[in-house]
Amino acid sequence: MAFLEINNVTKSFSQGTAAVKEFNLHIEKGELVSFLGPSGCGKTTTLRMVAGFEIPSTGHVSINGEDITDKPPNKRNVGMVFQAYALFPNMTVGGNIGFGLKLAKKPVEEIKQRVDEMLSLIHMPGLGNRYPFQLSGGQQQRVALARALAIRPAVLLLDEPLSALDAKIRVSLRAEIRAIQRQLGITAIYVTHDQEEALSISDRVVVMNEGRMEQVGTPFEIYNFPQTEFVAHFVGTLNAMSAEVRDVASSQLVVQGQTIRAAQKLEGVRAGDTLMISLRPERLSFAADGKKANVIQCMVENITFLGSIVRVQLHLGESLLYMDTFNNPFLELPKLGDKAEITFSAEAVLVLSPSAAAA
Amino acid sequence: MRKTNIWAWIILIVGILYFFVPLVATLDFSLRAEKDVYPSFEAFRTVFSDPEFYQNFGSSLGWSVLTIIFSTLLIVPTTYWVHYRLPNWRPAVEFVTLMPFVVPAVVLTFGLIRLYCCDPLPLISSPLLLIAGYMVLSFPYMFRAVDTGLRAIDVRTLTEAAQSLGAGWGTVLFQVIFPNLRVAILSGVFLTFAIVIGEFTFASLLSWPAFGPYMEYMGASRAYEPAALALISFTLTWGSTMIIQRIGRGRGGETQVAGTR
Repeated sequence: MAFLEINNVTKSFSQGTAAVKEFNLHIEKGELVSFLGPSGCGKTTTLRMVAGFEIPSTGHVSINGEDITDKPPNKRNVGMVFQAYALFPNMTVGGNIGFGLKLAKKPVEEIKQRVDEMLSLIHMPGLGNRYPFQLSGGQQQRVALARALAIRPAVLLLDEPLSALDAKIRVSLRAEIRAIQRQLGITAIYVTHDQEEALSISDRVVVMNEGRMEQVGTPFEIYNFPQTEFVAHFVGTLNAMSAEVRDVASSQLVVQGQTIRAAQKLEGVRAGDTLMISLRPERLSFAADGKKANVIQCMVENITFLGSIVRVQLHLGESLLYMDTFNNPFLELPKLGDKAEITFSAEAVLVLSPSAAAA
Repeated sequence: MRKTNIWAWIILIVGILYFFVPLVATLDFSLRAEKDVYPSFEAFRTVFSDPEFYQNFGSSLGWSVLTIIFSTLLIVPTTYWVHYRLPNWRPAVEFVTLMPFVVPAVVLTFGLIRLYCCDPLPLISSPLLLIAGYMVLSFPYMFRAVDTGLRAIDVRTLTEAAQSLGAGWGTVLFQVIFPNLRVAILSGVFLTFAIVIGEFTFASLLSWPAFGPYMEYMGASRAYEPAALALISFTLTWGSTMIIQRIGRGRGGETQVAGTR
């Protein structure tokens, strides 16, 4: 039995809209799982059902074997960090961190000790007497994290905690959150619409779309082996195109009149059928640098310099392809309008599931 | 820039004159109670030596404190709930709170008298009816002040943050929402106090001792004392609101309502 179980959970609102459909997820103790998806995909609603702020229409949520589906939020021992910080403006930093402990009627000495411990954990020792309005956004969110952790919750829920912060602080704070989560060994759910954030911080990622789980896997699996077209498109940049099956046995496909081969076995299709395939931009390279299993002829449409990488936009018949290549000062780039031979391995060709292709 | 400054000063001076000229004129008139003596404090002496002045002012003070307590206990949780769970009800609640602006006080009072004169709720002789009437009078001011205060804080997130830390509804309301609405509640309290302290219709028709009917009586029977009384009433009301403000505001650093800097 997993530490946190979300079984067959659905959530429909009074207007009849189903925000979450048949959600099943088991999370092990100490694991950090991210819910990733676009706005309105149901990720926050699912998190709020774990927190107790929404009641599932059907299904159950249990923590450590105890069914908490109908428990009010204040009885669940679940810590939550909000996008808007939600620090109590009338209380000092220390007051905020000690709030939950005070409610739990812990002795004053213990509260003081725990507050100091938490302040050290978030690298803000000695700032316990400040008021929230005297802190920067990043500091406020650290205090919110400390406040949620001070009660030693069974599960920590983070609802887009870094969305309101600027890019640099976001990157440093997410590393800090991950380090603290690992150090305390706390089970956590992290909601975000930022794929980079989800991939960098999580043990596993749940990609959601229109209330459904599209795919659950490690960040490596999600990025490299997307199982649906939505996941492939949503996570990372992707070249997706339709391909006609030429030969099932040898996994040969025809894309815009050019024959390529996939390493993946083609199942449930026949010669002449149409499939969706995808190629990550970083899996493509110029054939001049060494040919791989597949070589295709393209035309260079545009070249964008992005610092550490150079993005080349290519025309393959009527399809557009992106190719990412590492920047180096001696790189000889083709000119716009030039013909270019592009190569990629058979493993780079991802055949998306036929159902997704049909959709 | 310079032109703007001149206009700002002109507007300020006009505002000050508008506010202080009637007060100075009233003061001047109240100091002429004795022939050939200026200034004469006879009108003030008469007022302060009248035991009814203390009785009526004390009563009004009591009514206003009770109104403030009950009104706060009714309006704050109601407005909070409307913000937190029933935002669609806000126009309806707002409409109800505007009742004293739409229905004249005399109509409201007769309505109360007719409704509560006899069974099943014979409250006519209870001060509860007067307090309830005053609460209705305070609705627009209390509701608007609290509503504005609640708009300035993230009610939903603060409530949920407190709940996730183990807080029940009482704790959420009294330890999280109330303290963060202190400034807003205080503005409602000042207005309620100012209205109740000089209110005439309810107290007079329900036959309760109050400062409003006393001032009316003095105005009808004396010449200089009503002017003195108006100034005393003004000073006392102002003084009382300043005391409430001093008690309510607490330390300077705590008055920040919400948000980052």
